[in-house]
Amino acid sequence: MLSKETVEKILSTLLKHGGDFAEVFVEDKYDNRIEMKDNKIQKINSGIEKGIGIRGFLGTKSVYAYTNDFTEDNLLKVAKRVGQVLGEVTMNNIVLNFDKTEVQNIHPIHFYPQDIKKNEKVNIMKIASESAKNYSDLIKQVVVNFWDYDQKILVANSEGVFKQDRRIRNRLMINSIAEFNGARESGFYGPGAGMGFEFFNILNPREAGERASRIASRMVKADYIEAGKMPVIISNEFGGVIFHEAVGHALEASSVAKGASVFSGKLGEKVASECVSAVDDPTIPNAWGSANIDDEGTETKRNLLIEKGILKSYMIDKLGGRRMNMESTGSSRRMNYKFAPTSRMSNTFILAGDYYPEEIISNTNNGLYAKSLGGGSVNPSTGEFNFAVNEGYLVENGKITKPVRGATLIGKGYEVIKKIDMVGNDVARGQGMCGAASGSIPADVGQPTIRVSEIVVGGRNK
Amino acid sequence: MTYKEFKEKAFAYSKKIGIEACQINYQNNKNFSLSLGNGELEKYQDASSYKITLKVLKDGKIGSAFSESLEDAEKIVDEAYENLKLIDSEEINYFYDGKGKYLEMNTYSGKFEEMEVNKKLEFVNNIHKEISNDEKIAMVPMVVYQEIGIENKLSNTYGLDLENKMDGAFSYAMAVAKDTSPRSGVDYIVASDPSKLTLDFAKNVKKFAIEKIGSKSVKSGKYDVVFLNSAFSDVLGMFNHMLSAENIQKGLSPLKGKLNSKIGSNKLNIKDLAYYDGSISNTPFDSEGVPTKDKVILEDGILKTYLYDLKTAKKDKVEPTGNSISGRITYMNLFVEPGINSYEELLKKVNNGIVITEVEGMHSGANPISGDFSLGAQGLLIENGKIIRGVEQITISGNFLDMLSKVSEIGNDMKIGQNIVNPSVIIKQMDIAGNI
Repeated sequence: MLSKETVEKILSTLLKHGGDFAEVFVEDKYDNRIEMKDNKIQKINSGIEKGIGIRGFLGTKSVYAYTNDFTEDNLLKVAKRVGQVLGEVTMNNIVLNFDKTEVQNIHPIHFYPQDIKKNEKVNIMKIASESAKNYSDLIKQVVVNFWDYDQKILVANSEGVFKQDRRIRNRLMINSIAEFNGARESGFYGPGAGMGFEFFNILNPREAGERASRIASRMVKADYIEAGKMPVIISNEFGGVIFHEAVGHALEASSVAKGASVFSGKLGEKVASECVSAVDDPTIPNAWGSANIDDEGTETKRNLLIEKGILKSYMIDKLGGRRMNMESTGSSRRMNYKFAPTSRMSNTFILAGDYYPEEIISNTNNGLYAKSLGGGSVNPSTGEFNFAVNEGYLVENGKITKPVRGATLIGKGYEVIKKIDMVGNDVARGQGMCGAASGSIPADVGQPTIRVSEIVVGGRNK
Repeated sequence: MTYKEFKEKAFAYSKKIGIEACQINYQNNKNFSLSLGNGELEKYQDASSYKITLKVLKDGKIGSAFSESLEDAEKIVDEAYENLKLIDSEEINYFYDGKGKYLEMNTYSGKFEEMEVNKKLEFVNNIHKEISNDEKIAMVPMVVYQEIGIENKLSNTYGLDLENKMDGAFSYAMAVAKDTSPRSGVDYIVASDPSKLTLDFAKNVKKFAIEKIGSKSVKSGKYDVVFLNSAFSDVLGMFNHMLSAENIQKGLSPLKGKLNSKIGSNKLNIKDLAYYDGSISNTPFDSEGVPTKDKVILEDGILKTYLYDLKTAKKDKVEPTGNSISGRITYMNLFVEPGINSYEELLKKVNNGIVITEVEGMHSGANPISGDFSLGAQGLLIENGKIIRGVEQITISGNFLDMLSKVSEIGNDMKIGQNIVNPSVIIKQMDIAGNI
């Protein structure tokens, strides 16, 4: 990390040449990834990522540069270049009065990645791998990945912010492939947390392995779903990816600020059905998408996005805030120093409603029960989304009947949240990686079991 | 420490602690980018960083570690060696000795770096102007220009010692047209030389957004489709997984056992090219230092080869094909030979059907192990050989190999993508689900 003196020099050099805001982001990260195929360790790659990002604003203009040459000469040269590109406004005799308060850590860590022998990590992987393989004779291949990292950051800016934080993540990912009558299907489960190795005191790797294999072995025997428009019940936990993609991305300042989101200018308006309330909450202790401060040094907070169908808030970073004339909500994130930060989600989920999940199913005549969703994507300008259903079942006469595969859900986010007509009481969260302008970052998605009165489901035509 | 000193120290140390061979890759990436949001300069980035990846080899096992600092060569060797010791896979790995013949190719012009920043700003501003000069366009949320500059060095203790520099740029833009619900159009351009940065793609962005005004879904059924080059390129991406000899050997590709048999229509001829003029993924050697070369993938629909790295080639007792990129096997420039039909002629030949202009959700809705896919899509409705309206809220589904066998016509409208060069094609009788 850099000294206060060096940071001060960088910030004032930048502003001397141009701009009305300067920021330094220093990152020192240890990253470790282990890959196991069929119970054998195939690949391990680990090491250090280390660099500095320097950013300046002039009004709503932003210039970003990064480097991993830490010599002061180079850093001042980079700062000068950023300032020069901004030009116009220059500030001399800048006095920086750095905030002396320490960041309060609400995500306690017991075992840091570098303090745990890799053998112990491999042992966890073996348990998951064996249980996945032994789950059923149909399982042909099991790939288990282990990922942990220790990211130390320092953020400082010309508004007096000087903050350090440390983020630890541990994740286990299991991918099982089942084969039946020449057909193959895969099942995935990838639990993770903003915890140290103590995460594996909570997570049972045996159950995690079984869960991936359950999806693969059930789906491989399933029939293809017939395409059409139908009610869809989306299960809790990772089912929340639908809210993340279909609504969450369009609530990020990066698209709202330029009027490019379908939710631009809709604060205080009814955008969803009354049974829908949703939050983005990076303050959940040790959650996968949590942090004490965001990547601009702003303290994070629970952000109520939608309350009983009314749009209450967006997710805003500093630059987005300048464009929107609003304060940052502590939602600025980036993958690493190679990305300028922007407004992103952390742990985003729909809040609990009144129904038991069984009631939702028994109240649905015919439709699709999407137990587990794969990744999806969205175009925030049009709200159009798509998701793959990794584990799906038909609902017939209020009962879950048989597994179906090949289902894809498509629609427009702003339409779908108006069509949510039942919300369960079983909120849970699942872990994923969210990719956008500032890179790929850990994010939790979540929800209780919900029902959407109708969605276009892509599948095979009869 | 300089890179040279780092390398010498790491090589000497690895020998001292009994490692069979050591390989170091140094990559310095320059990254310059500009982006406009609604015509306003939103982001300006000018940066560079380097990364060292070090691999050690012993008893057929490879351990690797990386760093973004040139300090402490010995610590990185230790980390890689520690990783190696944990590997219990019986697979045998190799390093390459660099004795092969490398193609001479020009991958670096230096012209992007020479180009004045004002010229680059002018380019993005012109794109914005070109797209927004139509009252049907509501906004241009994104115009991006990005330059890539890579300096790549690869050496090992077997005597491999290679260096290459490349540069290039790409630009993409999105427009939103006014309608009862917003309609978007996107397109991109890849440039190996600044002279190739033309505004033609901006015209497409505008056209693609406007064409979609009044879009509706369609009735579910089987349709003949014109797959627009850029959308076809996305689906062709499934080949990446399938052609990899690693996936073939592990039984994870539907192309297993299909060598020299027919997997696509007679009309499909596909190559992997080491060099394609205008591409920005040309390279004389792959990540293992093996020379890259041209090869035929599909000849008249018949599968001629898989793609190999060192390990999988030894296993199949064939020559490596120079297709290892960052630990994965992938094509360099997948090239689909053009036909004689213009895009308009393809529309006429389909007569009644749908143009698929965009597919969504490749990463989740396409399963390259089975080849099955079910994807969100957008397009245009063709009646009597003419486009009559936009098509939204549809999904297309099927199997990749089955789709290749249904290719009936090939266009001449070649589009250069990241590492795929291909035209638009006609595919007969695709399954489309809509909500009408």
